[in-house]
Amino acid sequence: MTSCDAVRELLVLHAEGALDAAEGRRVAEHLAACADCRAEADRIGIVRGWLADSNLFEPVQDLTWELLPGKIAARARLPVETKPRWSVLRMPRWASGMAVVLILASGLIWTLRRPAPLPPAIPSAAAAPGNEAFLSKVRTAHARRAADLYLTACRGLLIDLVSSEKKCEGDLYDVSLEVARARQLLQQKRLLDSDLRVSEIERAKGLCDDLEQFLVNVSASQECESRDAVESMERYIEKEQLLLRINLLQSGVS
Amino acid sequence: MRRVQSGDMDAFEEIIRRFRTKVFRVIRSHVRDPEDAMEVLQDTFLKVYTARRSWDGRFSFSGWLYRIAINASIDRYRRSDRLKTTSLEGSLESHLEHSSTTPPASEPLVGVADGERRRLLERAVRRLPERQREVVSLRYFGEMSLEEIAAVLSCPLGTVKSNLHKAVMNLKNLLLRGEGVLGYD
Repeated sequence: MTSCDAVRELLVLHAEGALDAAEGRRVAEHLAACADCRAEADRIGIVRGWLADSNLFEPVQDLTWELLPGKIAARARLPVETKPRWSVLRMPRWASGMAVVLILASGLIWTLRRPAPLPPAIPSAAAAPGNEAFLSKVRTAHARRAADLYLTACRGLLIDLVSSEKKCEGDLYDVSLEVARARQLLQQKRLLDSDLRVSEIERAKGLCDDLEQFLVNVSASQECESRDAVESMERYIEKEQLLLRINLLQSGVS
Repeated sequence: MRRVQSGDMDAFEEIIRRFRTKVFRVIRSHVRDPEDAMEVLQDTFLKVYTARRSWDGRFSFSGWLYRIAINASIDRYRRSDRLKTTSLEGSLESHLEHSSTTPPASEPLVGVADGERRRLLERAVRRLPERQREVVSLRYFGEMSLEEIAAVLSCPLGTVKSNLHKAVMNLKNLLLRGEGVLGYD
C-alpha cells in the first residue's frame, strides 16, 4: 500500500500525465481508495484549471496590439542607430497632450515676440572646409578607438567562452560570467552604433554586427550550459571565423 | 523561420502574430507592469530578428524564442520589479509561513469574481521563486511540453518536474488554504 505522503508528491505530475505507467497505476489505485488524497487531487486540479485560464496574463486586445506586428517589423527594418531607445507606447496620454500644448504655446510666443530679422550670419568657424576635414578625422579616430575597444572585449568573451569549465552540477559548463558580459556588450553595441556610421570603418561595422547576432544567442543562454550547447557556440565561432576576423581587423583598426 | 532568415518581413510579421500572445503571457508572468511587458515583447522580437541568422535549429524555434523572452523578462524584473518590492521569494515564504497559522476564513479566493481571482493568481505566480516561475510560465502560458521546457532551460527533465510540482503546491497553499474552500469539505 502506497503511503499518502508518497502519493501526494506525485499528484501534480499524475495530473500532468508525466508519470510512467506503473507509477500512474499506483497513484490511481491509491486515489480510488483514499478520500483525503482524492480531495487533495481535486484541489490541485482547481489550481491547474486556473492556470489554464486563457485570460490569465492576457494582453489588452486594442488597436496598439493589433498594429504591433507591423510596428515591430518597421523597427526591425530601421538601421540600428535610428531605432528609438524607448517606446512611444510608454508616453502617458497626459504627457503627449502636454507636449502638444507646449509646442503650440511656444510657437505662439515666438510669433508674438519675434525680434527684428538679424543681419546675414557670418559663416561659423566650424563650417570652414579645413575644420570640417579636421573634425572628420577626429570622428574617424574616435570611431576606430571605440570599435577597437569593443572588439577587444568581444575577443576576450569568445576566448573565455571556448575555454569555459564544468563547474555546475550535472557536468554542465559554467557560462554565467560570459552570459552577463554578452548582455553588457549588447548594450555597449547600441551606444557604439552611432560611431560605426563612419564609412572608413565599414568592415569593423560588419564584424560588430555579426558579433551582435552571436551575443544575442549567448545572452539568451543559461548560467550553466550542456556540453552540446557550448560546443555549438564554439562551432559557430569557428564557422564564422569570429576570432580570426577580429585579429585581422584589429591589425588594421589599431 | 527560414523565410525570416532570408529577410522576408511578411514572414517575420506572421511569426509575431502567431507567437505574440503566448510570449506576452510568459513575459507578464515575470514583469508586473503591462507597459514594461510590452517593451520586453518588442525587444524580444527585435532580438529574434537581429539574431535570425544565428538560429541554427539546435532548439525548436519556439524554444529559442521563449528563451530570449525569459532572459529579457528576468533582466527587466531584476532591474525594476525587484527594486520596487522587497525580495519576492522571501515574501512568498513569509506569506506561506503566515498562511499556515492563519485560519482559512481569510481565504482570498472565496467567492471572488473571475477578474479578481485572476489578479490574485497573477500576483501569486509572480511571487514564485524564479525557476518555478519559469517552469509554470512555459508550461501553462507557453504551452510547452516538459521535455521542451527542459531543453529551453538546459536542465534535466527531473528538475523541471520537481519545480512544476513545487510551483503548483506553492500556488495551492497560497490560494487554497485549508479545507472547505470552494466547497471542498
